[in-house]
Amino acid sequence: MKARAAVILVCGLSVATARAGQDADQSATRPVSEIEALINAGGEGATIHVPAGVYRGNLRINRPVTLLGDGQVTIDGGGNGTVVEILAGNVTFSGFTVRGSGSGVDHEPAGIRAETGPVNIENNQLEDVLYGIDLRTSSNSVVRGNVIVGMDLDPGRRGDGIRLWWSHECVVEHNRVNRSRDMVFWYSEGLDVRGNVVSDSRYGLHFMYSHHTTLRNNHLWGNSVGVYLMYSNAITLIDNVMERNRGPSGYGIGLKECDDIEVRSNRLTANRVGVYVDNAPLSEGAFGRVHENLIAYNEVGMLMAPSNHSQQAWNNGFIENEQQVAGNGRGDLTANEFHVDGRGNYWSDYAGFDRAGDGVGDLAYTSQSLFEDLMSREPNLRLFMHSPAQQAVDFTARALPVMLPQPKFVDEHPLMTPPQVPGADAPSGSARRMGALCAGLLVAGALVMLTGAESISRTQGGRS
Amino acid sequence: MIRAERVTMKFGRIAAVDDVSFEVAAGESVALWGSNGAGKTTLVRCLLGILRARGRIEVGGCDARRRGKALRSLVGYVPQELAFHDDTRLGSAMGFFAGIRRVPASRARELLAQVELDGHERKRVRDLSGGMKQRLALAVALLSDPPLIVLDEPTSNLDAAGRDAVMQSLVALKQRGKTILFASHRPDEVSSLADRVLVLERGRLVEQTRPSLLWTDKAGVLTLRLFIDSDRETEAVGVLRGAGHLVNLNGHGLCVAVSSDRKAEPIGVLQRSDISVRDFQVLADHQPDWSRS
Amino acid sequence: MSGSLVQAALPAPRPCSVARNVIAFARREVRDAVSSRWFVLCTGAFALLAVGVSFMSLAGSGSSGFAGFGRTAAGLLNMIMLIVPLMALAAGAGSIAGERERGTLLYLLAQPVSRLELLLGKYLGLGIALTGSLCIGFGLSTGVLAAKAGGADAGAMLALVASTCLLAWVMLGVGMVISVVSRKVAVATGVGLFVWLALVFVSDLGLMAGAIVFKLRVQELFILAMLNPLQAFKMGVIVQMNASLDVLGPAGMYASQTYGNSLPWMLVGVLLAWGILALAAAAILFTRKKSI
Repeated sequence: MKARAAVILVCGLSVATARAGQDADQSATRPVSEIEALINAGGEGATIHVPAGVYRGNLRINRPVTLLGDGQVTIDGGGNGTVVEILAGNVTFSGFTVRGSGSGVDHEPAGIRAETGPVNIENNQLEDVLYGIDLRTSSNSVVRGNVIVGMDLDPGRRGDGIRLWWSHECVVEHNRVNRSRDMVFWYSEGLDVRGNVVSDSRYGLHFMYSHHTTLRNNHLWGNSVGVYLMYSNAITLIDNVMERNRGPSGYGIGLKECDDIEVRSNRLTANRVGVYVDNAPLSEGAFGRVHENLIAYNEVGMLMAPSNHSQQAWNNGFIENEQQVAGNGRGDLTANEFHVDGRGNYWSDYAGFDRAGDGVGDLAYTSQSLFEDLMSREPNLRLFMHSPAQQAVDFTARALPVMLPQPKFVDEHPLMTPPQVPGADAPSGSARRMGALCAGLLVAGALVMLTGAESISRTQGGRS
Repeated sequence: MIRAERVTMKFGRIAAVDDVSFEVAAGESVALWGSNGAGKTTLVRCLLGILRARGRIEVGGCDARRRGKALRSLVGYVPQELAFHDDTRLGSAMGFFAGIRRVPASRARELLAQVELDGHERKRVRDLSGGMKQRLALAVALLSDPPLIVLDEPTSNLDAAGRDAVMQSLVALKQRGKTILFASHRPDEVSSLADRVLVLERGRLVEQTRPSLLWTDKAGVLTLRLFIDSDRETEAVGVLRGAGHLVNLNGHGLCVAVSSDRKAEPIGVLQRSDISVRDFQVLADHQPDWSRS
Repeated sequence: MSGSLVQAALPAPRPCSVARNVIAFARREVRDAVSSRWFVLCTGAFALLAVGVSFMSLAGSGSSGFAGFGRTAAGLLNMIMLIVPLMALAAGAGSIAGERERGTLLYLLAQPVSRLELLLGKYLGLGIALTGSLCIGFGLSTGVLAAKAGGADAGAMLALVASTCLLAWVMLGVGMVISVVSRKVAVATGVGLFVWLALVFVSDLGLMAGAIVFKLRVQELFILAMLNPLQAFKMGVIVQMNASLDVLGPAGMYASQTYGNSLPWMLVGVLLAWGILALAAAAILFTRKKSI
């Protein structure tokens, strides 16, 4: 009896909830024209708190206002076109949830698009949009604290999470982008890009012809490439973390035909390639500096195009990369410098010693591996990495120096200790679980070992 | 109990057992007689279903080919010398076979006591004497109290005392109605234990007879062990067989069955063929009575 | 002594069930293995190597144990691929051939057991003994990682342990096939060693040469490599740790893209197929043999 009563009660409740939900939807879904009416009602530069609720349609903001959603307003484009279009400068758009842009690539439908600057786009939540935030010729803008989750599409059909186009002197910070194409900067100079997190996308930070910018404290993980700089000069990367960027390209940092790039104090771990350098620096007299970085656990620590020259790398920690430094094709890398002013890099596979105690090894570090040499000829051979056969190849080459390839590069002053990089020691698992596993395995082993003794003693003990 | 029809076992081209047919009734005690290489051991292995012979073998109604496991559960087997992992302790070996034979551990202990091996459980198999090993093998064979006991030259590696102990046990088993099939090359054993003798020669069953008919001379049969230079042993066997003697060659010398009143005859035969006998030994000069306890 | 050898009231003898006999053989096998010098030596060697590799790969770097596919895992993997197949092949090769050589096989088969039960029992027992031996080595190595690296991914380690045990069972089966057809332990061990060389070195080196000389396409190279149980094991471990095979270059990337989520199952499938086929071959060869 009691049970049946409970069932009836539950049914009744769920019916009631369902009805309440419907009511709420109907009451809350309003046309965006209500917001546009509020904008028109307020004067230039007015601050408008949009009433809580869900608004449907495409919002156009065509005069300078401060529009605040206070985290309780959703604007739903219903799957058509760009959801929020900002057509005037000096607009602040903050605290909204923006969803439901069109999904076709024509006209590049976005969550929020600004056609002119400056605009402030802050603390918005964007979901189910093809492009996220798209600034066109909107200099001096701020894009801050937005969370953008792209549509669940094939990587090839996604739009960019954040895009700046001809928008100079902008601040892009503390945004989180997931499942998009790129956070991309076209022809935009003097930017401040910091504290952004980009994951599961194509290129975390992508620079095209965009110069004079600092990238700081960004965290780029699980993308195809962490930071890709193309044809962009005078860019500094400091204190960024690039990890597990794999996929087709799979670079922590990719530099393509860029001048005056400084890469310092970054942490590059578990990428397919830590730093990829393709003709950087490009011009005579330009520099390319990679220093104080932790480059660890990548398949290739640093990959260079054979034609590359004048790149400098020193004071970096190359730790347990399967290949510390490799050439992308045949040829050596001796046109680049792996030590500057008597200081080279730390190499985890360095076998030399430091008799003087000055922190610099007495023997040069050279990289000569027959297997790596074969791999640069036939990349498919990487399939045999981590197998005894691969070691056999290298062992044979060491035993028969005739077979050793020419060294790819020489670090005359290898360091004895790696540089300290902030936030570099984050164990990926818990010691307690490892301890438990250790105990479990030992107990299992001991049980097997004791089986014999136990059954003998049983036969024995039963005798009396 | 046993029915063998046209049993043939070939290793390559050589037939170790060639078209052998015989029957053994329940309660009967039958000896397999023949020299080394006559096929006794192979025949025993075929009967147990260890080797896949052509022909038909049935033990207790179980076909060797199709119900080998059931067949072997009716048989207690004692090999020439017990072969078991040298490191194993006697107690745990016995425990293992008790498990396989599905008898309680108490039964295993009881049997160990009966073959006077109790107290040796901690000993490793490698440390057992030949006699102890055979007593262990006997205990294993009797674990499940099977109706048929098959023995393959069980005494050949034992000294006189060990042999006596094993033979006494077998006679006791026979008296309790067990069917016994045993391979032997000792006339004294055969005539005291067997009701019937199957004589094997080069894999063929050449004669089925009674022990008393095999050695007609009432004067009694004994075994003469002759020690000859090893390079002439085979030749000597041929010579003696040619003179009508029953001969057996094993690692311990050349054994000839002779009437007790014509003991010197084989030596004379050999000397006529220029084969010198270095030494000889009379293994039993009386008809032993193992039924005495 | 002749007293009451025959017990009057025993039930008629009937053979044990297959499972009971298999378990009896397995228990005996575990007991024998554990108390044998060979086994203790192998266990010690494996434990020493596992601990040594863990120490060495952690020395110097001092940071996260399994961050990416670091050299801890790579070193362990390399060591496992060398040692474990050798241990398992040798154990398998010695199993039946050893009993045959010592003459114990005949005596065992004269008991009410079938050849299949003996084979399965030995397989099970040796497999358990090997697993125990591996557990001890991995346990110590895990302890080192937990203590020195302040924690690493326990799930990844468990996957490595499980895969290694699977590999050991597979190679044990292959060893038993050799054992069934060999008269002498020395011959069986020699053939086992040859198979080990072939699987560990020869086939991979051959494929490398093929890749260079004949320019094998990625899919051909991947499929051919995968047929080698050692490579399947290696790729399986890498997939479990990285969720992708892209650390293995173009061929690995091809595999990850083409087979996606079914890749780990494929690789486990290859290993299982080797194990099952080997055991089946051993069973058929052993039970069909006219003599033993």
